[in-house]
Amino acid sequence: MIALFAIGLLLHALNLVLPAFVRDSRRLNVAANGLNALALLCGLGFSLNALLNYHPAAYRFALPVAGPVVIGFDGLSLFFLFTFQLLSLAGSLFAIGYLRHYIERGLSVRAHLWFFTLLIVSLQLLVISHNALVLLVVWEFMAVGAYFSIVFEKDKADVRRGGFWYFVATHAGVLLLYVCFLTLHEATGSWNFDDFARHAAYDPGTLAVVLLTGFAGFGIKAGFMPFHVWLPNAHPAAPAHVSGLLSAINIKTGIYGIARLMLMLPALDAAYGWGLLAVSVVSAVLGVWYALAQHDIKKLLAYHSVENIGIIGMGLSVAWLGRCYALPELVVLGFAGALLHTLNHAIFKGLLFFGAGNVTLHARGADIERMGGLARVIPFTATAFLVGAISICGLPPFNGFASEFLIYKSFFRGGDLLRGYAPLVMLCSAVGLAFMGGLAVACFTKLHGIVFLGQNRSGAASRREKETVLSSVVLLGLAGLCALLGIFPQTGLRLLAPALGELAGAAQAPAGWASPLGKLQIVFALFLALAAAVFVVKLRLQRRAGVRLRETWGCGYAPVTARMQYTASSFAEELVKLGRPLLDLSVHWKPLLSIVPVASGFRSHCSDRLETAWLAFHRAIGLVLGAFRWIQSGNIRHYVLYMFGAVAFYLLCALVW
Amino acid sequence: MVSSDPLSWLAWALFLAGAPLLSGIVNKLKARLSGRFGPSVFQPYRELLRLARKETVYSTSAGFISRLAPVIVWSAVAFAALLLPLGRAAAVSFPGDIILFAYLLALGRFFQILAALDAAGSFEGMGASREARFAVFAEPIFFFTAGSLAIVTRRYSFEAILAGISWDDPLFLVFVSVGMISLFFLMMAECSRMPVDDPNTHLELTMIHEVMILDASGIDLMLYQHAASLKLLLYAALAALLFNPFGVLGPAPGLLVFDSTLVALAAALALIETLMARFRLVLVPQFLLFATAIGVLNLLIFTFSRQP
Repeated sequence: MIALFAIGLLLHALNLVLPAFVRDSRRLNVAANGLNALALLCGLGFSLNALLNYHPAAYRFALPVAGPVVIGFDGLSLFFLFTFQLLSLAGSLFAIGYLRHYIERGLSVRAHLWFFTLLIVSLQLLVISHNALVLLVVWEFMAVGAYFSIVFEKDKADVRRGGFWYFVATHAGVLLLYVCFLTLHEATGSWNFDDFARHAAYDPGTLAVVLLTGFAGFGIKAGFMPFHVWLPNAHPAAPAHVSGLLSAINIKTGIYGIARLMLMLPALDAAYGWGLLAVSVVSAVLGVWYALAQHDIKKLLAYHSVENIGIIGMGLSVAWLGRCYALPELVVLGFAGALLHTLNHAIFKGLLFFGAGNVTLHARGADIERMGGLARVIPFTATAFLVGAISICGLPPFNGFASEFLIYKSFFRGGDLLRGYAPLVMLCSAVGLAFMGGLAVACFTKLHGIVFLGQNRSGAASRREKETVLSSVVLLGLAGLCALLGIFPQTGLRLLAPALGELAGAAQAPAGWASPLGKLQIVFALFLALAAAVFVVKLRLQRRAGVRLRETWGCGYAPVTARMQYTASSFAEELVKLGRPLLDLSVHWKPLLSIVPVASGFRSHCSDRLETAWLAFHRAIGLVLGAFRWIQSGNIRHYVLYMFGAVAFYLLCALVW
Repeated sequence: MVSSDPLSWLAWALFLAGAPLLSGIVNKLKARLSGRFGPSVFQPYRELLRLARKETVYSTSAGFISRLAPVIVWSAVAFAALLLPLGRAAAVSFPGDIILFAYLLALGRFFQILAALDAAGSFEGMGASREARFAVFAEPIFFFTAGSLAIVTRRYSFEAILAGISWDDPLFLVFVSVGMISLFFLMMAECSRMPVDDPNTHLELTMIHEVMILDASGIDLMLYQHAASLKLLLYAALAALLFNPFGVLGPAPGLLVFDSTLVALAAALALIETLMARFRLVLVPQFLLFATAIGVLNLLIFTFSRQP
């Protein structure tokens, strides 16, 4: 079966030379994305088969500089490979229809498609390279592919800025990863992951350096707070198919890295678990709170990724704690919850970003305050988006519920099994998750309600517009996956079972830890049957009593306009105000004081305090380093002087010794 | 899992049927306390029947959400009622159903808010915004209470948790009373009762639940109204079940104690609604945080009781 994967990679490689042969942009778009999709189908066939009939495989090569290199297909790699391929497939198919709008506007997609392919390939290679050097090289390829995919509309300043945020963040992360892997190399004398895992005795100091730099490096990629600031800047800048992949799978490489570190290294100190838990809870709650304050649809979704990364982090930290305290049940509940949420989040976040892409196309902008009534304009997108919104809030019967259920369960079990003050922390984390759930409901009712329901606020005609067939198929397909994985969560568990089996301490978990999830299908079947029955009864009663259409009741006021509807800002205002110490809400308006009304306006926006802090930090670094800028004068004579000085210094040294 | 005992399902059907009666009792008591005679306790039934026969009017701005939402709202609340052990084994029960309970109610709320925004009126938007805001603070109250019970009894379904409560342990009594107080607060907040919301006024600016369903009519309105009364009964029943009357006293005296607890809660609600005015909306989160603080108290009692 590995041949299938190789064929997939070959097709991708073919794609990298394709732009040289196909001249017409429109045909290139179809050909390149179609070829990607075909390659990914092959890849999916391989990874799905490998996960279902699992036996680990590893291939060793001897490379000139790096020495022996391992390409491994273990449970964790295959699970992430499957997730990445699934969403890349959706992204490639969606791009065919989506990029057509850009081609019609005369933008060149030639380079973009090349880098998009590079991004997809390097994401797949990243999770199978079990060698630190290869991983770092692939990481750079991924960064380059993602950066150039983001800056597609490079003539816009915002886009360049967003791309730059991505570039800085990803390199800050990789810098820490160099330290992490170099320390591991120093301790073990190898670059391969299996040697890292086999190495028996790490001394605590080494382990501390490795874990801190590793967690921080991968955490920057994943977007944990306070490293999240690049997400809300980079995601809105990218075209929808790229931002979908960024949020659904690119940031998951950070989660993969943290999970990989957990798999390789012994869990000695519970402090890392508690630390990660604290960071995750803060990321989850603040992420969604910031999301609530946004008016830009993509920015809102980007902040929601921070929230979901927080949820995944909660699961990972419970698993870590379970290993430290030798409680296998916590290990499986936490780890399975985290990985399942990774898959689920990839699916619904991909769906939401692709849907947001369609929304921005048809609403001609990303500001949700000017939208409304889009359910009549793009009904397929609206339906799929609704499913995505319900899923991301973790509401039954869709897939978000299953993974959040496992994480709640892990907190409750943790509260029971751990001693001391730990139950207090566990329960508070569960309550944090519930609080965040309430905020997510507020956020997504706002988003879906303002964008798709009611009347259009900018007065645009609300006639049905044509959605591309392929994008509708992709969106509804992803929505179907949300329902499938929600009603039959064992499907997801089956996929992550190999990864779970390889985590130390998970094997001793009591059987039946996941049995409640198996019961969900019966429960949901009952629920859906009840709802369907009520719906039928309602329709029959309505047919008897009659149905009429009238305009909305305006308390007798006749000239009701669409601008009188509640806006997104007013919907969220009170909740945002309550978070004011953390959220930087600023309001600009002139109160109406004169008797004769004059033209006035109201504007509010919420800026991220952490972003301001990071910018200030960077500016401080710039100031300090700027003091040495005179060295780099640009005058060739000065450089000759430097060289002369250096040689003279060395000669002096040689003389003195 | 799914109970094969027909009596559990009968208990559920009775529960659904009895929900308007509790609202009727609250209204009647409220009227008597303020010196009026008040409508009959069966008045809510008459209103529901009247609505079922009425024509439905939809807003021209409304789409399929407005048609779907009443069904989801009602089904979610009714299904949540299946998870409670009402004298018999719960009709549906599995470890972790406390989480499902909270999330089903959230699903109902999700659709209720969307339906309000679907009508494109500013009143409905206002109500929707308030509902979303207060739910954020109500959710933690439930998880503090149910979560600490789950951790303490080491069980994760309503049926098992409530069966694990015994009157012999003095600590449980403290715990249960505190839990009941938080559930009562939750009931006031979630069921749009007086200090949070005023179900009686028809001044749209001051309301939450009533203003969200301003544009609903006919059978849709019936479903919303019944779901609202069902939710009230759901929280009241949960509070009453904390005493585990059926497990400790047996079916017949248990039912008596259960029903009298419900009436007592209704009376308490009526008394509060008679004596108090509605809070200013900005104060509601403080009120709910106070209820959360009571939940934290619960938690502290248990953490310290378990210290070696």
